[in-house]
Order: sequence, then C-alpha cells, then structure tokens
Amino acid sequence: MLIIPTDQEKSSPLIAAVQKYSEAMGKTSTSSWLSQIREKSLSRFVKLGIPTVKNEEWKYTNLSALSKIDFKPLVSEKFSLQSEVKRLIKTDEITLVFVNGNLDEGLSALGAMPKGLTLLSLKKAWFERQTDIEGLLNKYTGVFENAFVSMNRALANDGTFIKIADKTIVDKVIHIIHVTQSAQPAITTPASYIFLGKSSEATVLETHLGHADSLYLAAPLTEVFLDENAILHYCKAQSESLKSYHVGNTRVWQERDSHFDGFALMNGGDITRNDLDIISNGEGTSSTMNGFYGVNGKQFVDNHSSMDHRMPNCTSNQLYKGILNGASNASFNGKIFVRQIAQKTNSYQLNKNLVLGVDCKVNTKPQLEIFADDVKCTHGATIGQLNEDEIFYLQSRCISKKTAIKLLAHGFVGDIINKLHNSAIQAKLNILLEPTFAALE
Amino acid sequence: MIEIRNLHAGIAGTPILKGINLTINAGEVHAIMGPNGSGKSTLSKIISGHPQYEVTEGEIIYDVNFKKVNLLDLSPEERAREGIFLAFQYPVEIPGVNTAVFLRAAFNEICKHQGVPEMDPIDFDEYIRSKMKALDMDEKYITRAVNVDFSGGEKKRNEIMQMAVLNPHFAVLDETDSGLDIDSMRIVAEGVNKLRSKKNAMLVITHYQRLLNYIVPDFVHILQDGKIVKSAGKELAIAVEEKGYDWLKEGV
Repeated sequence: MLIIPTDQEKSSPLIAAVQKYSEAMGKTSTSSWLSQIREKSLSRFVKLGIPTVKNEEWKYTNLSALSKIDFKPLVSEKFSLQSEVKRLIKTDEITLVFVNGNLDEGLSALGAMPKGLTLLSLKKAWFERQTDIEGLLNKYTGVFENAFVSMNRALANDGTFIKIADKTIVDKVIHIIHVTQSAQPAITTPASYIFLGKSSEATVLETHLGHADSLYLAAPLTEVFLDENAILHYCKAQSESLKSYHVGNTRVWQERDSHFDGFALMNGGDITRNDLDIISNGEGTSSTMNGFYGVNGKQFVDNHSSMDHRMPNCTSNQLYKGILNGASNASFNGKIFVRQIAQKTNSYQLNKNLVLGVDCKVNTKPQLEIFADDVKCTHGATIGQLNEDEIFYLQSRCISKKTAIKLLAHGFVGDIINKLHNSAIQAKLNILLEPTFAALE
Repeated sequence: MIEIRNLHAGIAGTPILKGINLTINAGEVHAIMGPNGSGKSTLSKIISGHPQYEVTEGEIIYDVNFKKVNLLDLSPEERAREGIFLAFQYPVEIPGVNTAVFLRAAFNEICKHQGVPEMDPIDFDEYIRSKMKALDMDEKYITRAVNVDFSGGEKKRNEIMQMAVLNPHFAVLDETDSGLDIDSMRIVAEGVNKLRSKKNAMLVITHYQRLLNYIVPDFVHILQDGKIVKSAGKELAIAVEEKGYDWLKEGV
C-alpha cells in the first residue's frame, strides 16, 4: 500500500538534502538514459517521502529522527581507517575498497583477473553496460520500489559492476568494502550490480564500515541477476559506525534452476533497516536467506525479506538468528508469496532470538501469502534466554558461568556462521563480530 | 573422601531427599539403586550443584588436598575444578560449541586451578584422541558440536570420555547404563574400570544390576523415598533385581 506522505513529511530536511546531492551531481549529458533514470528516481523518492511508522512495512523502523538531520555534502577528508580495512583484505581475493563512495585504488587489490569476469566501476558501466543494467531494471516494471531504492538510483554515482560469463566459475572471492568517514552528517549511496551468466558461479562479499565518530546515512543498493543454473554465494556484512543509519536494499532476480546462497550480518549502525527481495522467475530455483544480527546499547535492527515464488518446484530456506544485549531492539519480517502457479514450492523460515539484555525488545513477524494448494511452507520464531541446563552442563565441566554464557552465545552464532560456503568469509565475519562478542564480557 | 551428612533437599518446595547419610572413602565404588522417584538423580544433581535444587538441611563434606570443604558452599564450576564429576543421565546438546574446544577449556580450567601449565591445542588433540580410542569412539566427534546429532549410546560414551579427560577425584555416574546395548555397556564399563584407582572414588547410580557385573561395587545402597533404607555388598543388587524393592520398605 502506498501511503501518501503529508506535506510536512515531504519537506523534511533529509529530502531537501537528497535534492541538493542530486543537484550537485549535475546533469550527465552524455547519457540521456542515465539522467532519465536519476530524474525519475528522484521525483519518485520525493513523492514517496520518508516512510513513517504509520506505514505497515515500516511499523517498527522509526526514521523520524533521521528525516530531521541536516545532512551536508560528503567531502573527502583525511582517511584514518586503513588498518581496519586492511585486516579484512586477503591477497588471494579480488578486493575493491570504496571510501566515501569513491574507489580507493591504493587500498583495492585486484590481482590477476580470472577469465570470464568483467569487473568495472559503475561510472564506466553506466555507459558501456547500459543494456545489462537497463534490461534488469525493465524486468521490475510493476514491482513496488521503496523510497530508498529510488534514492540510491537517484544519487549513486560510482560503484561496482560485476558480470560473470556463461559457464564460468570464479573461485576467487570478490570483496567489496564500503567505508564512510565524514566530519559532518553525510549521505552515502553505494551501488553494486551483479550479473551471473548461465551455469556460472561466484562468491561476493560486501562489507560496510564507518568511522566510529561519523554520523551518516548509508543507503546502499545491490542488484543481482542470476541467469539459468547460476550460483551466487552472496554475503552482506554491515558493521557501520554506531552513530550511523543504514537503510539498505538487496534485490535478487532468479531465473530457472539458479541458486542464491545469501547471508546477512548486521551488527553495526544505530538504526539499521535491511531489505532483501528475491523474485524467483523460473522453475527449480533455490534461495537461501540466512542472517545474523547482534545489537547492543540502544541499537535497532530491522531485517525485512520478501521471497516471491512465481514459478513451480522452487525452494527457499531462511534462518535468521539474533543476539540482543543492553536495551536494544530488533525486528524481523519475513514475507513469502507463493503464487497460484507456484505449485510444489518448498519454503522454510525460522527466526531465533537470544535475549541477554533486560530492556530488549523483539518483534518477529512471518508473513505467508500462499495462493497455490500443493506447497510445503513452514515457519517459526523463538525468543528466549540461554538454556539453564546448557549453562549447568558447562559449569559441571569446570567452566565458569560467565564463560559458559560466552561459549553458548558464540555457539549460537557459530552454528550459523560455520555453515557459510566460504571459510575465508567466515573468518572475516568473525573479525567483524568482535564487538558483538566483547559485549558479552 | 566424601561424607554426606543428614542431607535434606528438594525442588520448588517439594522435599525429595529426607536425610541421606553416606560416607565414601578413596578407592571405593558405591552403587545406589532404587525405584523411580526415590531421589537418585536429585542426589547426583545436588552433589554437582544444579541451581534448581535447594538444600534445606545437612552438608556434604569433601576431602581434597588435605583440607575439608563443604561442597554446598561451592559453585558448580568450583566443585568440578576440585575434582567432582557428574556423568549426566541425559547429556545436554550444545549446538555450535566444538567438542575439542569445549573440553580443552574445561581441562585448562583444572590446570589453572592446580597452578600447572595449560595444554596447547596440539597436545590436547593427541590427548583427547587417545581417550576416544580407548572408548572406541569415532574421532569425527572431536570436531562436532558437543552431543549434537549423537545417538543415545554415543552421548553416554562421550560422558565417560570427558571423565577420562578430566580425571576426577570423585565421579557420579547417573544411569550411565540406561539405553545402552550390551556391547556399548561393556565398552563404557571398561572405560570406567580403567579409571578406578586407590586415589579416587565413584558413585554409580543405576536401575539395573546388570551394570554392576561389569563395574563391581564395594557397597550397594538402596534409596527409597529420599532415604537410604539398606546398605550391603554387591549381593544386595542381585537381591533387589530378583525380589524388587518392596521387601526393603522401612520396618519390614
């Protein structure tokens, strides 16, 4: 449902800032296609306005404080997070580092480019790969696009374009790191467009980091297209500054027999909203949507996913786990549509929350809309504390109660992290999880 | 080694143990038998310090390193570090916690407590493998999460393997034989017998006399309605196996 914003909401400082950012980009005269998209997206964003809690989809994500922030232009300044970035870089991987939206060639490490991989900056790809990008966007005709997707399209200037040729398997991890450091409140809109050809396979990790003192809004957008029989292992890791807002969107389009193997780690940000929307447009697809969130203090995280089963014989699996400490809040909303034609859909969803803080709150909401009659859909949610018998078992083996709690919380996370396809990504996530584990001390 | 004096205890206000007196010396193996609900498992939980049970009267005096302590004053982990071990009737599954990591953490806690150097992962790996081999356990369990996807028999073997690794002074085996087939029971019993020495002691809780053919006790006690109603040698176990418990009721 489209909520028409009031004039007051429309004229929020955030909207004014986005308009200013857009003006500052100037007109991209060389491509009328691109300027059209940007203009259209900007006016759509302004029309939609910043979603309020009156909107059912945004019931728990309160952006009223965000909409009032007086954002300034993002100016590059002295960058001081080299070591934080470097410890996530492995030499046998392809690493792209974007600082405040611009590619940092010094920190990036490309190495030898595997055959069949096209890796371009979006600045180039807007022109050279218009057919791919435009073709994908056209598929979404008639699909609701939320305000922050439009905002990203209006403002994304640079980013990553990845295309894997048919029948190509890229073993190397492609790691895209987005870092933000700004003395003044600023907006950043990282964008990635990932295309996998028929029967190809790739592993992509996107990491979002920020300077601890920086207040900013990160509104990233990742668009994924999986052609027939392609496999993408995709992980998004969000460990932004605890002062930041992260409102991200990942959209996945799957053709026949393709497999999206997705994972989301969310442990940064003051307020985080992460949307994952998958459209299964061919028979025999499988989609994994796993995730972990760890929040502390007054952090808030909202994971929203939507799985649209448009064709028969498809599978989707979802497991989101969360640990809440302090007075943090979390929300999980997992929507699964099974259209009438999508018979024999097999869908599984589970959300498990471990609440360690006294003043925490969890809202978990499965949302199944099933129009086919021969499907198997299960869903569940748990919210609880650590099991007393497990703690006692560890204590009876000499381990102190405090260490037992830590071990069990580690186990709760490890259980899901260890299932990730790539062990190098597991190791990186464990580095990013350090603050979450430190909060257990 | 351990002296239970007039122990009264219960759970959520319901009394279960109603005055237990039991002395176990170093080098001895005692068996406790008794009908369901007589308090056998409660006794094991209280010795190891489960927080759900409350002791209303009595004490458990434990001799360690030439000093006497009341176990009830110690937290469960302090008891374990002093050499108390409970082989659980229902071993708990700990998802995501690797068996080797868990046991090394436990082992090193004892090292720390005794002031000796901790064992590094490589040495520990060798140590744990030797213990697993002795219990005919598949080495794949080392890297698995503790008890997760273990069969009932494997869980029980894992308890005895942990006992072998931690080498306790006083071990309580709570129905370690229930649910085991005869072959597994023999392996478990052999494992336990290897750990018997003049310096340690054990309390074996069981429903069935069969186990006591393999782990031969020095004393057998019958627990009924929260009290020890009869104590004798191993022949008592055979008698209750044949005649049941009714003839032992107080005053008979």
